[in-house]
Amino acid sequence: MKDAPEDSRVLLCAEAVMTNYLIRRLFQMALVVFLAAIVTYFLFNIAPGGPLVGLQQQQRRLTREDLARLRAGYELDLYWPVRFSRWLIGVPRGPIVLGGNDLFSNVAVGCYLPRDATLQRNADGTLTRIPAGCDQYEYLSDIQKYHPLVKTSNGILRGDFGLSSVILRDRPVSELIKSRIGPTLLLMSLATLLSLLFAVPIGIYSAIRQYSRFDYFFTTVSFIGSAMPVFFFGLLLILVLSVFPSMLQISLPWIPRLPPGFAVAVRAYDISSWLQNIQPGTLLDRLLHLFMPTAVLTFAFMAGWSRFVRSSMLEVMRQDYVRTARAKGLFERVVIVKHALRNALIPFVTIVVLQIPGIFAGAILTETVFAWPGMGRLYYDALNRSDWPVALALIFITAVLTVFATLIGDILYTVVDPRIKYS
Amino acid sequence: MTTAVRTALPRSRAEDATQENQLAVIVRRFLRHRLATASLILIFFIFVASLLAPVITVFPRDAIDISSSNRPAPPGVVDNEGRVHILGIDQLGRDLFTRVLYAARVSLSIAFAVVLASETFGALVGATAGYFGGMVDMVISRIVEFMLTIPTLPILLIISAILIKSDTVLPLPGFVTKALSAIMLAPEREVQKVVVLILILVVFGWMGSARLMRGMALSETKKDYVESLRSVGASDSRIIFRHIVPNGLAPILVNASLNLGGVIVLESALSFLGLGVQDPTPTWGNMLAMSQSYMSQHPWMPLVPGIPLVIVSIGFNFVGDGLRDALDPRLKR
Repeated sequence: MKDAPEDSRVLLCAEAVMTNYLIRRLFQMALVVFLAAIVTYFLFNIAPGGPLVGLQQQQRRLTREDLARLRAGYELDLYWPVRFSRWLIGVPRGPIVLGGNDLFSNVAVGCYLPRDATLQRNADGTLTRIPAGCDQYEYLSDIQKYHPLVKTSNGILRGDFGLSSVILRDRPVSELIKSRIGPTLLLMSLATLLSLLFAVPIGIYSAIRQYSRFDYFFTTVSFIGSAMPVFFFGLLLILVLSVFPSMLQISLPWIPRLPPGFAVAVRAYDISSWLQNIQPGTLLDRLLHLFMPTAVLTFAFMAGWSRFVRSSMLEVMRQDYVRTARAKGLFERVVIVKHALRNALIPFVTIVVLQIPGIFAGAILTETVFAWPGMGRLYYDALNRSDWPVALALIFITAVLTVFATLIGDILYTVVDPRIKYS
Repeated sequence: MTTAVRTALPRSRAEDATQENQLAVIVRRFLRHRLATASLILIFFIFVASLLAPVITVFPRDAIDISSSNRPAPPGVVDNEGRVHILGIDQLGRDLFTRVLYAARVSLSIAFAVVLASETFGALVGATAGYFGGMVDMVISRIVEFMLTIPTLPILLIISAILIKSDTVLPLPGFVTKALSAIMLAPEREVQKVVVLILILVVFGWMGSARLMRGMALSETKKDYVESLRSVGASDSRIIFRHIVPNGLAPILVNASLNLGGVIVLESALSFLGLGVQDPTPTWGNMLAMSQSYMSQHPWMPLVPGIPLVIVSIGFNFVGDGLRDALDPRLKR
């Protein structure tokens, strides 16, 4: 009875520590996300390419006003702090009206008509250098004139990623992401689940039977799996399961062949003499398309994870308490499952949680090899075609998810292992 | 003072003999790892073949065979001068055997350059952090942790998309580009682009060895001999360079070998995605990327660059594993 209040005090104290820790971590996270936003934004702003590249050659045919209008279309007329702030939080969107008065409406936020440095011939024949400058400044009050609200993003922090500039011209980036997230989620979660199902038992069994034939075999396999370039493994699978069977189609029509790319077929197809006329979009069609990318990813994940489970299991099996458990006369099964495994899987939790950003961001190489219409391939397309708003949105989402996953991993770590303190 | 340090490292004949024995022990332990030995032999074979590239093949690197009109063509095609294309020709009519040899040269030089630079840099940074401790260690460790949490491939892709597409050229002294172009047998203009890629890969590749070396330095610094070195007046840089770094060399060597495989894969991944080494310069990655569009009709094409790539990347991993067993048996799996 006496212990009860003390206990609750300890609990309260622990809770306070936890809240403190969470608040501190959330602040750190906000800071990291903000820094990530700044860094990625400036990376892309020093990047060449983008929407105006082709125009450089045509400049002579365009009047200055045309060019200015085009530049304004991509907000290139605004000064970079203004542009960054509009990208991040969506302000300033126009004059600030407070109590019926326009505030700061005469503050210049950009240059609508920039002027290059030129030489001017004076009447007496001498040359005067006119420095680069601005012929027409843009003020806070004109923002809405040059940048209509329909095209203005609400800011990436409010979940509005702006408009795509190349891939789906002038359509919202979020629309593009929405159409790509489904296939990525399907592929990545399936691969993660399957590799967990394989990796954990293999790792445990390898550790229990260390240096057995099973152990050597799977250690070698996982070695190969983690060293194998994913993209070549993908191409190899396409060769073996799709290209070679199609070449043998005439002599050996019963060999099944898999469709090599995309998530669903365009028209009906057959994979062998005994499985013909598969309709596009059916479950079987989807599964057939899913098979190879999932296999590649599963192999790659499994390789690393099974080695991890094995080594952490070996580490735990050497501990004194496992020996104690054995000395008590417990069954080996109980020792392994109840005493060793639980502790061995603790560090594994963080690794699996850090997989979360990958599940959303997709696997760039695998999706590219199999033309899988997911986020990873979208990122690759965005970089190759210089669609910076799309690439920016994706890298920003990945950064935020990585930061979140790290936090969740740290918290989970302390939940499953109470010995670890928040600090 | 110098005599004191010198007597700390006596080099008698007896000790030389034991050192030789140690080397023999290491070699014997390494040879016991059969997969590692086999990998080393295969890698050596590819290395020598790439060194002798101009001698082995009769074709220049970018020469286009104008005699045949079907491109790509399968292995064994003969041109109108009677020369055989051992591995066929690609879609532009270039000899694939020649290109894969030159690609080995480029890919291997990139990998060796990146690993050499990043391991050295990482080891020095890590040794500094571990030796000085305190604030220096805190700052360096935070930076390393931060860089390790960054998802590597997306960031690498952005940076190379920005730098390589804009044809950024680093201000390098002439002899460096000349030397590199002699090693890679590529024109200097192409080498300048490759150097940018090397730099990018180094920036994202030094953390592993820094972490390893920091751990080693932390435990070494606590030992008595460092204290005695300090007491005889050895400078910090001397202790770091002459004592701490050499002591931590074994794990760094293992890490370097594992990294060689990793860097080759990373470089070919970037080149495969079109954001690494660009086309006239052959690498295994961009050869694979090109073969992808022809593979349904010409299935041998991806195998030509792919097989050496797999051998080298898996091979270096096995060699690293063998080295670990040989250098420090305590670490064995």
